[in-house]
This record gives sequence, structure tokens and C-alpha cells, in this order.
Amino acid sequence: MPVEELRILTRHLGQPQVTERSGYEAVGGYQSLRKALAMGPEAITAEVKASGLRGRGGAAFPTATKWGFLPKGVFPRYLCVNADESEPGCFKDRVLLEALPHQLVEGTLIAAFALQASHAFIYIRGEYRAQRELLDRCVAEAYAAGYAGRDILGSGWDCELIVHGGAGAYICGEETALLDSLEGLRGQPRLKPPFPAVRGLYGQPTVVNNVETLSNLPYILEHGGAAYAAHGTEASPGTRLFCVSGHVERPGTYEVPMGRTSFRDLLELAGGVWGGRQLKAMQPGGGSMPVLGPEHLDVPLDFKAVADAGSSLGAGALVVMDESTCLVEVSMRLVDFYHHESCGKCVPCREGTYFESQLMHRLEAGLASADELRTLADICEHMDGRCFCPLGDTATWFVMSAYRMFRDEFEAHCGAGQCPVRAQAGRAA
Amino acid sequence: MFRELIGGLRITMRNMLSKPVTIQYPEEQRPVPPRARGRHILHRYDNGLEKCIGCELCAGACPVGCIYVLAAANDPAHPVSPGERYAARYEINLVRCIYCGYCAEACPTEAITLGPRLDLADYKRERLVATKEDLLESWPGFRPTAAAPGRPDPAPRSELAAPSPTAPVARSATDTA
Amino acid sequence: MTAEVQPGPQPVTLTVDGRAVAVEPGTLVWDACEKAGVFVPVYCAHRKMEPVAVCRMCLVEIGTMPKLQPACATVVQEGMEVRTQTDRVRRFREGNMEFLLVNHPLDCPVCDRGGECDLQDFAQRYGPPRSRVPITGKVHFDKARALSDKITLDQERCILCWRCVRYCDEITGDRSIVLQERAVHTVIDTFEGRPLTGEFQGNLPEVCPVGALTHTAYRFRARPWDLQRTVSICPGCSYGCTLGVDSRDDEVVRFVSQDNPEVDDSWLCDRGRYSFPELNRSDRIRAAELRLEGPLRQVPALEATAAAARALALVVEQSGPGAVAVLGTPAMTNEEAFALQWLARGVIGTPHLDHQLAEWPGLDPVEFRLAVADLERCDTVLVLGERPELATPVLSLRLYKAERKRGREVRRVAADPDPAELARTVRDRQLVGVVAHEGDRDAALRVAAALAPVNREVRRLTLTEGMNGRGCKDLGLLPDLGPGYVAAPAAGMGGRAILGAAAAGRLRALVVVGPNPELEADPAFEAACQRVALLVGVTTVPGVLSRHAHALIPGRTAVEKAGTVTSSEGRVQPVRVALQPRFGTPPPELRLLVEIGRELGGRWTGEPRATPTFAAIEAALPAYRGTRGGLRAAWPQWERPA
Repeated sequence: MPVEELRILTRHLGQPQVTERSGYEAVGGYQSLRKALAMGPEAITAEVKASGLRGRGGAAFPTATKWGFLPKGVFPRYLCVNADESEPGCFKDRVLLEALPHQLVEGTLIAAFALQASHAFIYIRGEYRAQRELLDRCVAEAYAAGYAGRDILGSGWDCELIVHGGAGAYICGEETALLDSLEGLRGQPRLKPPFPAVRGLYGQPTVVNNVETLSNLPYILEHGGAAYAAHGTEASPGTRLFCVSGHVERPGTYEVPMGRTSFRDLLELAGGVWGGRQLKAMQPGGGSMPVLGPEHLDVPLDFKAVADAGSSLGAGALVVMDESTCLVEVSMRLVDFYHHESCGKCVPCREGTYFESQLMHRLEAGLASADELRTLADICEHMDGRCFCPLGDTATWFVMSAYRMFRDEFEAHCGAGQCPVRAQAGRAA
Repeated sequence: MFRELIGGLRITMRNMLSKPVTIQYPEEQRPVPPRARGRHILHRYDNGLEKCIGCELCAGACPVGCIYVLAAANDPAHPVSPGERYAARYEINLVRCIYCGYCAEACPTEAITLGPRLDLADYKRERLVATKEDLLESWPGFRPTAAAPGRPDPAPRSELAAPSPTAPVARSATDTA
Repeated sequence: MTAEVQPGPQPVTLTVDGRAVAVEPGTLVWDACEKAGVFVPVYCAHRKMEPVAVCRMCLVEIGTMPKLQPACATVVQEGMEVRTQTDRVRRFREGNMEFLLVNHPLDCPVCDRGGECDLQDFAQRYGPPRSRVPITGKVHFDKARALSDKITLDQERCILCWRCVRYCDEITGDRSIVLQERAVHTVIDTFEGRPLTGEFQGNLPEVCPVGALTHTAYRFRARPWDLQRTVSICPGCSYGCTLGVDSRDDEVVRFVSQDNPEVDDSWLCDRGRYSFPELNRSDRIRAAELRLEGPLRQVPALEATAAAARALALVVEQSGPGAVAVLGTPAMTNEEAFALQWLARGVIGTPHLDHQLAEWPGLDPVEFRLAVADLERCDTVLVLGERPELATPVLSLRLYKAERKRGREVRRVAADPDPAELARTVRDRQLVGVVAHEGDRDAALRVAAALAPVNREVRRLTLTEGMNGRGCKDLGLLPDLGPGYVAAPAAGMGGRAILGAAAAGRLRALVVVGPNPELEADPAFEAACQRVALLVGVTTVPGVLSRHAHALIPGRTAVEKAGTVTSSEGRVQPVRVALQPRFGTPPPELRLLVEIGRELGGRWTGEPRATPTFAAIEAALPAYRGTRGGLRAAWPQWERPA
């Protein structure tokens, strides 16, 4: 049976004028918000708990549990929507922002009500200029309809909905760096404890949730948490929006049920490796995650199964690499990304990513000696688990996994004077 | 008895008629080995700038504390050394020094080395504290100018070879002994 | 005498490398390690600042936690097991040092920090034996840039520990240094590139662990092994900050902070720190001069004291002891002040004695009952006018600490505020502090009196002028009070009146111990010196006194003598000899004064040296007993109800 998408989150995709309030309401939009206001915060949280919804930003933390960390009786509290999607290979939030912005607004308001937040901030990546303009318009429409602002839909609950643009820093996707950036400080992660749930934005209890996570809430409230959970497996309930890119026929986002779909299924949905070529390697989860090989194609898209295979589902991406790919070059590009995006706060990440980057360039150009591979391993050992925040840790995962899986390829670069893979493939440098 | 006498006298005669090993110092001087550690020399680059940057590492490494260095900032218009820092005062107490060479090992710019001159005796102890003027080598491209009038060359570069046995070398321009 | 101490909470016990140690709850693992005698290297952590855990140097193994934890930011838990010497920790320290050296410039030979640099020391102790980075691969920034006339910045040397940024935020509050850019291009710089203008810039090179921030005044002057260090008290004001006097070849090349949590809290102000050039002046008075018994001639000091004594005896014989007046300086040590007081009242028998020009009727030690450290325990601190912080700048840092770290209220009010108005808003507090300059002590007294009925306790801190303004008062260098604030046998003229009387010809002799900047700056002093028939002067540098003295005897600067000084809060602290004057070894002022007194027939038991003299002070002033090591004098007047 051919694999099919399961459109739960994206069920309204493509409906006429769905990016406008009227079009969204025509397909049932904002009914879940009304239902939520009638249910009350505890009932909403119970449904979210029943749904088993886990964060879709990469950490996969159970959403209802995160909401439960807010201390009772401490006000005001805030909700922050993390729309600072910057993980290499991820563009699902962008799709949701472009195609279903009102669904995000509705999900945000539902969550803000469940948390009894007075303000909800949508921190959107600075580079998403067009998406930001669209979102601004949708927020204005929500205000005009009485879905945001004072005494929302007569419930007596006030909530301001504020869109804030980032300025080009991957690190601001890290929740505490996001909060500092929102406060007007340098976007750098904070020391934890205290955790944002206890002392977050402006020192108040704060929850930070991903765009995709919140966009699931209208469905969960409409059909119930159990119905949502039934779409996946017990360990990984619900569906997930996966971004497939790289050497595939049809790159794009594909919504599939978790756990029942495998990498092979996902690859098939995307039309398979392009030009009929062979799969050499694939990276799930975005730029941070270790590489997997063709032998992992049948691993199900389940958090535990992928972790057991040595990688992680992360933020829901799949980058496909064919046999012409030089893994050293891919590693170099990813290391360059972390070197550029390092916030500079801690020594191992700031200097380690720089050191890594210099070394990877030498390696890729065939100028490094075999000793330098030892240096690379040392650099990664001294960064992983030693940095202030996970950025420094993840800057080592792909390259180390690629080195382990493609050791011969890495070693062949040493002293080669040029990239042997490219030379073999006959491509121009 | 005679045999012993003849044997002893033979040795005496042999030595009487062979060339003595005595060297008439200081008119004649024994050539020194190439790595002999004698009086210090402060070197320059070919453009005349002093190599010494006044870092005091020689003074710090010296086991007997015979080196005094006072650093100062270069005047950018008239730099003494390349970079920001130079030695405004540099003195070595030649009798306290044990000629171990640790200063030369410590020097990051190879400014100080120990040269071949071992004839350092003097009658006055004060004259045995060598100043920078005494220690600095000259360089072939030197031309005095109003800003840098220079000084008579006390330690010519050719000193790197063995010293002249006949010409006593002045220790400083004011040396009168 | 500090505010009541609450009983402590139950201590937490943990082990560090197998050694058991007990600490207060809330202690950081780093501090617990220190208590256990285990050294943990740090760059960004600082005892006076909040932890940031950015340098990662302090990562240690804790219990079964899978990742290494930063000791500087982890709070101890009961039964915690900390391990700092495992292979994982050692390997990481080596790797982290390698990272720090990746972009650090090879500046050691030209960097002022060489020899006392944490980067050098930890690289030596924990770092890799060789470099794996080509020198040409380092990032480059500005070098040797003047941030002000006091501080030079080298951005390349910076290891981004953030201490300077946090110092400007948490300690001084002026936020003048900021971080800019990101990743390896991060640098520290001043806000908007403006020059630094604060009064506490000199602490920056001390918080900086490397040679990124350096003192311009110390640039290229010496290496640590050239220096002799003597711990003494800053001569700049009466706050009593402890400092280290670093000298090379009998010249002071810098002052460095020491940490006295009760007073300076490890900071110095720029005025005090950079005042040392005054101690190196080349125009010192080098030899005693006599214009008595013959033409001007140079004589040995003890000959001058004998001649001065003879001349004084003549004046007393001819005109009575009341024709002589004695003036000291608030820079004198307690021992010198004690001797001067003895000389004036005990030997010469004159009641005209003072150490400065203002009048202080009714001086009472209650005016400095509030300790400096107690400022951070007051619920509210009232600062009267600008003069307290102008007189003793480091006070500002303690006040900011009270606000910033302890959440206390610090209110700066007018120098003479309306006491009733204040009593309306400052009420029902446990402890209120009133801080005033001695010139505003009357206003402070009124404020305290108005607040006392509506608050549980009100205490005052009054700031004096001069390194030992408080000590001179405690020891009775005052016309109406003898040592210990006891009424003098006969009240005499104070400083201002003495000058007037001398200029008008009503005094025949003046004995002046200087240099006293207040006198030197006052035209009445010159008029007095010109008019008086006999002027005996002890001083260090040329001025009005040296120009007119008939017997001029060289003195010693604050770093050339031993003794004690008492700070504004009544803390008795030792000053020590850091170096000898370059021109010789003149007898210290204490000896000179005792010699004059003895020549006049006075009795001084024991040697005229600092230690036995302090014992004599303790005998005369029970409040000073046992305080020599840096304790506050215990005044019985403090026990009276406020």
C-alpha cells in the first residue's frame, strides 16, 4: 500500500482564503477557542495531557507537564511562542506561518488561556519578513474580532498578543536566549536554575512553546486528546510535520503519524532519492543530529526508536544525501554554521567551533594531516557536554557521527591535496 | 741505579727540547670554542633596531640576579626596538654573572647571547657593571643622524669571531684605564 | 560593634575529593572546595560577583550526574560527592586551556601581566604542552587602546570572562563596559566607545585575570619579581582601605587592592590608588636645616631637634607655655599624635593644640557608631549631601552593594535636610544609618535625633578628612579634649584661632608637624608662619612650612613609617614601612617628637618606636586595647542609649 500523509495538523491546508480570518472561520476556525474558554484551564490541560502532545521544537518535552511547572498563584505569567525556526533542514514552522497563521494564533490563545497568561509573545525569526507581515495582519484581525485584547469573547480574560522579530541569531531559538532577546538584552542563554517556568520573562513564570506544538491545539480541543493520541503510537502519539530536503524528487513538508511511519515511508512520500540515485546518508532531526545510513531506513519515526539507532527526531527534518555527497564537506558546512551562530558566551563553544571550522576547512581541502583527525576528536570531546548550552554540544554530533560512519572517507582526505569524493565524482570544485 | 737516572734524565731532556704549551696571555690568546659563554652581546636586526624588547625574562631567569632591566614604551617616531616596548636601561653585573646562559635561553627574541670574550678582568669593580651601551652590538648600516647620533662602536660585529690578540678592546667610550 | 547576629541555620556536609567539609546552606561548590582545601581554577567566577559559569574552567564531577558541573554555579546539597582530580576533569581542563589559547596572542614578553597571570599559571599547571593551532590562524582586534588616561585595553588578550562587564554592572553600577559582536568576534569595549569616566577604573585590571585591561600608570614599569610588597593602609582618605604597596628600587610603582570585607571589600578608588606618585617626589626635604643660633645651615636631624628644644625652652621661660601652640596633621599616625599631644600638654604645658582648622565642640564617639560593613544591614541609609562620597569614594561602592545585593534603601538627601520631614517617611525601621561628612555633623545629629523616636535604632557614621583624622581626634589632638574624649585640663585655642593669634603676634612659637594640605592652602597659615618668632617644622616636601621654619626637620611619607591609623569608623589598622627614603634614613617623626620632649625635660618611658608607643596608647585609652590588628575601638559611649 503506498504511503499517505495524514493531514491532522494541516487539515485546512489549501482551503480558500484560509490565511484570512473569514476563510479560517469558514472551516471551523476559532471554534476551539470558544470551546476552550468554556472549558476552563484545568480541562484544557487535561485534554492536552490525554493527547500526549510533546514539544515539536526539538526537545520533545511533554507539553502538559511543562505547563504544570508554573507555580500556583504567581501572576502575571507569560506565554512565548518560539517561531525562531533556524535549525538547518527545518522549515515546517515556516509552512505553518505562511499557510495556517490563524491556526497558530488560535492555538496560542488557547494555550495562553490554559496558562492564564496576560501576554503571549510570538518571537518570529527576523529573516521571515514576509511571514511576519502576514502574521501581523492575522493578529490584527484577531484583535478586531475580539479574540485577543480585553475581555476576550466576553470571558473576562485579558490577553495581549505581541509579535516580536528576531535579528538573525540561531541561539535565540534556545528558550532562555529567546527570553533575554525579548527583554532587549544580548540573546544569550541564561544560567538554569532558575527555570523559565519559575522565573522567565521579566522574572515572571513563563512557558515557551513551539509553533507546531501550539498549532495542534485547535484539533485537540475539537476532537479530544484521545483522538489525537490515537493517530500515532503510545510512545509517540499524534502526527508530525516532517521537512524532507536534500537529494529527493519532491522536497517539502509531509505530515505523517508518528511511530507507524518509517524513514523509508517518508522518503517514498518525497518521491525517493532524486534521479534514481542511491542513498548514502541521511540526517534526521535537523543540523544538530547524528547521521544515519541506508541501514536505518526501516527505523520508525518514533522518539525512542530513533534514539536507539543513535540519532534523534529533533525538530522533525530529514536531509537526504546521495552517493555523490562528500560527508566531510557536509560536516564542514554544518560546523561553519555553528561557528557562525555561536553566541560566544562559553569558551568551549566559542573557541571550539572556531577551531573545528578551521580544521574542517583544511580537511575538506585535503590539507590536513592524519594527526589533525585526532585533534578534531579531542575538540569534540572537550565540547560535548561541557558547554553552557546545547548549541556547543550539538556542534559536535554530526561531524563525530559522520567520522564514525564514514571513517575511510575522512581519512582519505588527509594529505590528499583535494577532496577525493569530488575528484572521483568528477565534479568541478 | 744508572738506568733509573738515565730514564729520568731522558724525560727531562725530551721536555726541555719540546715546544712549551704556555701561551703568553694576553698578547696571545687561546682560540675559544664556538659555543663558549663569555661576555654578553645585545643584538640588533639588520635595520638597526634593537632586538631586545625589555621583557625582563632574562632577569627573571637569571639564577643570580645579575641583570637589571627597565622597560619603556617606544616613541613611535623614533623606535628603539620593533613593537611597543624596549629596554631603557639594561645592565649586567659581569662579576656576579655565572655565565650559565639561562638569559639567552629565556630570551624570546634572541636579543641576548653570550659571546666569545672571556678577557673581562679589571681593576675597578664599578667598571664591571656593563650597561646597554657596553653590550649593544653595532651594525654595518649605521649612519649617525641628528635624532640618533649613535656612539663609538664598542663591540664590533666582527667580535663574533675570535678577538684580536694585540688590540685591547675598550670596554666603554669613557674607559680610561 | 555590629548589628545582632542571627543564629545560623543547619550546616550542609559534603565531601570534596574524599575530604568532608561542612558549610552553610546556599554555599557554592567552589567555595566549599576552598574550605576543604581543594583548589579549583576559575576565570569568570569572582568572590564579589554573581556566578555566570561562562569560562567552564571549574567543571567538576558531582555524584552520579553524567555531565560535569560548574562548581561556581552549583549550590551544595547534603551528602554531595565532589571529585576534582579525576581523569575526566583533568582531560577537560587541558582541553579548555587549549581552547583559551587558540586565539590568545603571543604577547607574554610585552604584556604587563606576565608573571602574575592566571592564564599563564593555569596553562602551565593544567594546559597542553604544545600548540596545535598555527599562529597565523588567530582572530585580531584592537591592541593597546586607551579607554581613559588610567586604563589601557588590549582586546586580543581578553578571554571573555565578563568580569569587567559584571564589575561595571554589579559593583559600580555605571555599566561602562559592554560586550559586542558574537562568537569568536566577541570583544569587550566601552559603551558607544566613550572614554571611561568613573572613579573606580583602577579595579578593572585587578578583576581582569589576564593582561587585557592594564594600568596605564604601570605600563612596562616592572615585573612581579622586581617588586617588594608591603601591606599597609591607603593614605588617600579616612576610609581605611587596606592596600599593598608595590615598590621597586625604593620607589612606589603601584598600589594593589587587598580584601578587607569589613572596609574596602577588595576595591580601591582611583584617587587613592593613583596617589602614589606623590610619594615618589624628587623634591623631598632631605636634610634638617637650622636658621637658629646662626646662619642657615644643614645639620643632622637630632641636632636640629636639640636646637629646637633649646629655642622652645627659651620661649617658655620668657613668655610662658601659653605662648607656644602646636599643630599636627590628620595624616599623622596615632603614635605620632600621641607623642605630639604629650609634647604639647605634658612637656611644654600649652593648651593650644589642634590638627586641622575647623571647630568640633562636643565631639562624641557616638558619631561613628555605625560600622562601614553595617551599611548593608541598615534598612535605610541616609546620606547627607555629596561630601561623604567625595571625601571617601569607596563608600559609594558599599552603598551600591547595599542597594543592589541586599535590597536596602539608600537615600541621598540634602546636606542639611528637614529632620521632621524625614521622620515622616523614615519610620518603623529596624536600623537606620545616617552618613555625614564631619562638616555636616550638626545636621546629622539633628536628623538622628528626629529619627530615633520613630525607628528601632539609628546609628551615625561621620567621615573625617585625612588618613588619620579620626585617630587624631581619638588621641586628643584637640584644644578642648584629651585622649579618649576626656576634657583637657585646660581648654586652649583651636587651629583657626591659633593661626589668627600667631599672625597677630600673640603667639611666639609654633610647632607644626606636616605636611598638612589644609594649612598649606590657607593664607592665614602663611601669615602666621611669617609673624611667629620661632617656627619648628617637620615635613616632607617644600611648602609654606619649609620656607619659613627656623628649625626644619625632614619627615617620612606614609609608606616610610610604621604605626597605626584609625579610620572614620574607628578601626585601628597598622601602616608599615614599605621602603626607605631614597636620600637616607631620617629618624621617624615619632622619634623626633620624643627627642624634642626629652630635651625639654619631659619623660617618655620606653623606646620612641611604634609598638611600645601603641602599648602606651592602650594604657591611656582602654577603648584601643587589642585593636592594633584592624579592629574597631570599643567606646563605652556606644553603650549609652542612642
